[in-house]
Amino acid sequence: MSQFPQKILIANRSEIAVRIINGCQALGIATVAVYSDADKNSKHKLLADESVHLGNSPPLESYLNFDKIIKAAQATGADAIHPGYGFLSENALFAERCQKENIKFIGPSPEAIRLMGDKIESRKVAAKAGVPVTPGMAGCAADIDSFRTEAARVGYPVLIKASAGGGGKGMRAVENESELAAAIEAAQREAQNAFGDDRVYLEKMIVNPRHIEFQILADEHGNCLHLFERECSIQRRHQKIIEETPSVALNENLRQKMGADAVKVAKAANYSNAGTVEFLLDENGSYYFLEMNTRLQVEHPITEMVTGIDLVAEQIKIAAGEKLGKHLNNISQNGHAIECRIYAEDADNNFMPSIGKLLLYREPVGDGVRVDSGVAVGSEVTIDYDPIMSKLIVHAPDRQTAITNLIEALKRYKILGVKTCRYFLTEVLQHKNFANGRTFTNFIETNMTNMPNSSNGMESYNELAAAAAAMLSSKSSSLLYSDIDDLPPSPWQLLGDWSIGSSISG
Amino acid sequence: MAEFEFIIGDRTYLAVLKQAAETTVIKVGDSEFSFKELSSGHYEATNNGKQFSIAAVKHRGKFLIDIDARLFEVSESGQEEFGAVSSSHAAEKDKVYAPMPGKIVKLLVKVGDSVSEKQPLMIVEAMKMENQVNSPAAGIVKAVNASVGEQVDTVSAVIELDLEN
Repeated sequence: MSQFPQKILIANRSEIAVRIINGCQALGIATVAVYSDADKNSKHKLLADESVHLGNSPPLESYLNFDKIIKAAQATGADAIHPGYGFLSENALFAERCQKENIKFIGPSPEAIRLMGDKIESRKVAAKAGVPVTPGMAGCAADIDSFRTEAARVGYPVLIKASAGGGGKGMRAVENESELAAAIEAAQREAQNAFGDDRVYLEKMIVNPRHIEFQILADEHGNCLHLFERECSIQRRHQKIIEETPSVALNENLRQKMGADAVKVAKAANYSNAGTVEFLLDENGSYYFLEMNTRLQVEHPITEMVTGIDLVAEQIKIAAGEKLGKHLNNISQNGHAIECRIYAEDADNNFMPSIGKLLLYREPVGDGVRVDSGVAVGSEVTIDYDPIMSKLIVHAPDRQTAITNLIEALKRYKILGVKTCRYFLTEVLQHKNFANGRTFTNFIETNMTNMPNSSNGMESYNELAAAAAAMLSSKSSSLLYSDIDDLPPSPWQLLGDWSIGSSISG
Repeated sequence: MAEFEFIIGDRTYLAVLKQAAETTVIKVGDSEFSFKELSSGHYEATNNGKQFSIAAVKHRGKFLIDIDARLFEVSESGQEEFGAVSSSHAAEKDKVYAPMPGKIVKLLVKVGDSVSEKQPLMIVEAMKMENQVNSPAAGIVKAVNASVGEQVDTVSAVIELDLEN
């Protein structure tokens, strides 16, 4: 029997909390937002039907605090919790706690989270299921000699990875033995800070790979299918910044083979709910299981755009005990979708996070353009959380049109107050190797370093900037924005919506 | 007709404003730009048939301008500069700052150490990422003003150097 949740608490913030609230509202499910001090004027808090204050801004006192979140669910009568991504989304103890408190955790079982959240264990699951994995250690180690021996066995370059890792945190590439000790130490420290678990291991680094992942959906009755691939090769500091689907690197044969292997991994893990099986694909067409993400992925919208499937709605139905619907049997890839992550960061300064208040904020609109955002004018980007502000997604009939439309949308996306990677993203998208589909995980190091700073050599742009300043000065009616520090976001700036799988013209 | 003088980098620009009915025409140097206001501070400009998407705000005495996703900082001519701008640190090579507010997770040098240019000096964690800070120049460490675990801002130097030569 299906038990649809009546009210869902979203244990997250920013754009993903907004995305999930929108998804719940589309299904007629009531929503509860939780928020920290830093987020008291935030978009996700204002959009939800109810909201509960968690406390101070540091994650351990807010979005990572089991007790406060469970208490918020109980106080508001929420019968389910959606964890989003990051924070508690892949925390088996939290999923267990929800079970104990009789609150439905919208995600896989604690056992599946634990199994696949451990990089070492998940490699074993994949290998046992007959899915290729990269050569490397069978388990974690703490002594440098084990690392030295294994690195020598598989050959440099190697990667040090956190067993609990994800998003590049606790990961270090090592070119040769002299860098090994420092890399292990740094990876352990970063892993300890990010995950509270400093165990690391070593595997061979696949040179010049593409990152290809498959979205899977699995119900609690043993049914599992995939919703095709996403290519996420464009990364900086091991974090994805541009994702697209379909991948130019897959032919139908390889797509079917990798998709079937993704399903095998999920089934072997006794997995339920939405998940992502990640692979590295090398230039010879060989692929290796990388890891499984046991949650909704940041880049899930591109899958939604080409398949027309609302992944949050599917997650909720699965959590309610429903079987995978018949509408999932004949899905195809319709057109091409690309997503850019909009981070508050300085692309001219090694992508260092940029903090501050949004003085001006305008999202682009257009055919096939979707913006999943968690910010508005007056929002503050602080050092407390990840600097992702929004995701810009474009859906078009073909890849070239998608690229052109995305560049246009990035130019029309206006953000002042913090630096963002928008201009850098337009340069990546305009690069001939991107157009040619020569997209590998080292794309940025290979193609984008030694680029002139974006502000250099642009006399005509400077003239236009001076003209724009004159334009603003001439508007007697316009605010001088000197008091914008006190400006709260207006709820009217927070409205605006998108729909999944909306028709695309052209 | 109004005139404005602005500074970008080390150059001065004179903008001459000619009001028109639907659009505002602004001349800078030999270039003429036509502006259409979409909403407050949000414009579309054209120059020789080429279109640009523009946003502008004035904040703490400076104009912040976004042209097709590129950012520009514009000052009014004759205006005193105020407010600490992090890039102003670039000139002082004998002081090392955290690139952004964060926590010191590792100090790799101590007072009296001699360091080379680009040698790693400390690791600062912010937004859950570790950022390595390298020495801006060769020299000898004169002072270390913070300890491991301490929160630091971008205004006070964490490490001070006696520069070589």
